[in-house]
Amino acid sequence: MTNPLLSIRHLATEFDTDEGRVRAVDDLSFDVQAGETIGIVGESGCGKSVTALSIMRLLPQPMGQIVSGEVIFQDQDLTQLTLPEMGKIRGARIGMVFQEPMTALNPVHTIGRQLTEVLLLHEDISKAGAIKAGVEMLDKVGIPSPDVRMTEYPHQLSGGMRQRVVIAIALACKPALLIADEPTTALDVTIQAQILELIRQLQSDMGMAVIMITHDLGVIAETCEDVVVMYAGKMAEKGSVYDIFDRPKHPYTKGLLASIPTLDTPPKSRLSVIEGMVPGLLDLPAGCRFENRCPYRQDGCLSAPPPIEIVTDAHQVSCYRWQDI
Amino acid sequence: MRIKLAVTDGKIYEPRDMSQPILEVKDLKMHFPVKEGIFLRNNKFNKAVDGVSLSIQPGETLGLVGESGCGKSTLGRCITRLYQPTSGSVKFEGQDITTLGGRALLPYRQNIQMIFQDPMESLNSRHTVGDILEEPFIIHKMGNRTYRQKRIRELLEIVGLPARSVTRYPFEFSGGQRQRIGIARSIALNPRLIVCDEPVSALDVSIQSQILNLLVDLQKEFNLSYLFIAHDLAVVKHISDRISIMYLGKIVESGNGEEVYQASRHPYTQSLISAIPAPDPHRELNRQIITGDVPSPINPPSGCAFHPRCPMVIDQCKHDAPVLEIISEGHIAACHRKDETR
Repeated sequence: MTNPLLSIRHLATEFDTDEGRVRAVDDLSFDVQAGETIGIVGESGCGKSVTALSIMRLLPQPMGQIVSGEVIFQDQDLTQLTLPEMGKIRGARIGMVFQEPMTALNPVHTIGRQLTEVLLLHEDISKAGAIKAGVEMLDKVGIPSPDVRMTEYPHQLSGGMRQRVVIAIALACKPALLIADEPTTALDVTIQAQILELIRQLQSDMGMAVIMITHDLGVIAETCEDVVVMYAGKMAEKGSVYDIFDRPKHPYTKGLLASIPTLDTPPKSRLSVIEGMVPGLLDLPAGCRFENRCPYRQDGCLSAPPPIEIVTDAHQVSCYRWQDI
Repeated sequence: MRIKLAVTDGKIYEPRDMSQPILEVKDLKMHFPVKEGIFLRNNKFNKAVDGVSLSIQPGETLGLVGESGCGKSTLGRCITRLYQPTSGSVKFEGQDITTLGGRALLPYRQNIQMIFQDPMESLNSRHTVGDILEEPFIIHKMGNRTYRQKRIRELLEIVGLPARSVTRYPFEFSGGQRQRIGIARSIALNPRLIVCDEPVSALDVSIQSQILNLLVDLQKEFNLSYLFIAHDLAVVKHISDRISIMYLGKIVESGNGEEVYQASRHPYTQSLISAIPAPDPHRELNRQIITGDVPSPINPPSGCAFHPRCPMVIDQCKHDAPVLEIISEGHIAACHRKDETR
């Protein structure tokens, strides 16, 4: 197989907070192949968004720092680049879509200006050419009367339309990788279905890879080929979407899947729960981070963090007792 | 986690007539004036709730589903009388409370409580948990200090929080625990009806199931009725006996949970169900994605409000607004083509 498009190796990202230094992402490794969709799933504070910001080198400064590890994108280590060099990659070769389209867009600039800005910055294109390409892009993301919309401001659009504009900006330069951080969380379900379908369709048209970051296992099941499950800054498990949903080997993945009500669960039946809550990043346990909530806990789990075990080539899990699950 | 029955305040409830609905809403309308133009004149209305009727039996959960802006929260707030409805009636245990105000409303406030989506906003951040939970007793002049302290400890135990929480502030708790505080406050006065407005939407998946279980337990223990408002149909179906679907200020379909899910007859309900991403990678995607956005309630479409997005629209839908008609016992839908939507 050729080199992966993106290869994250032992990434660790730390933040300085008032109470001390916390490690928001710890020893995270995964690969993204060209054209594939990989999901990163986890609950708030698990480090999934920090992973995205680390790849893009958009960590809040000076608090957030990548302290070790590599982010190899198209054979280049992004952690070693200077900021101007990184600026040439962002928006051009890696696009990003955020949760809140209203905060991602500049309220005082027209859609057209924000959309052509990225084209003028990264491509050798005239202003008229950029406007033409921008209109085409808006048309591609399904915005009706795109030439009129170019002159409008973000507040004149609905939430779903704004997210389409953000996607148009992210994809304007035909990046090889799109990072979508909770792209549909702020949207209604019928709009969510539209946006997910749009991303899927653009992905097959343009052949880009997608990192889909979400807390919604339904979105993961529907859009991803591979999945990384994160818990308290570490990878709990990764594998194909079938490995994760059909044969979960980490007690956290298993608990998470069991706890979501679906349309098929009998009404008012007891949902299985994961007792307790995520440990704070400031006082992490010495052993496995899931130890305090884990029904499979044994003495060994408390002393040292579990190594990453290989279930199959593609399926890896960080748990001492994975064979019992 | 089983919960213990709270020691009630020694007050004996008169036996209830089980056949009488605990809540009855008839043709409720809530129109907010919209000020426009340089003179800020009112010539338009935001018809957030536009003619809704529903009823809830004792011990029953009615789920109310819809997308943002459909008026579901406004309806909840009219029922708790945080808003004064424009017209229509709200009856609680047979008593019309639509126009009551001030002191006259106090006994109903005790019986109709509310749980909000974001406990960080609905809990006063400068009060300790003890103060927050004591406040309802003070407002309703119930018990002395010793009694109130005892009740607060019981409430904390019921919702699964440690007794030492009383001296702590809301920010010291996680989202799930804060929602438990909000729930403790809502059940403090032994209410009969709780309006739950998106109570688990802001919570993580693993915490969401803890709170849903708690709500089901409390309902069984205290024979509570819930109006459960949410946008997540899977969550609503899990907790509800009956479900009503709202679109642009009106109920478009209503029925028992299983029937609405298995045999929905309104195209909007059908597309809502098909739009939910299922946590199952084997499920085949043959989704009918409805296009467009929810229109503005200030200027709703003519005829059936759903017609601009409806995959089954015919000419009649553009002029005549469909009314709710009986499909089968307890199942109603408002669609001109309800016989063809099976």
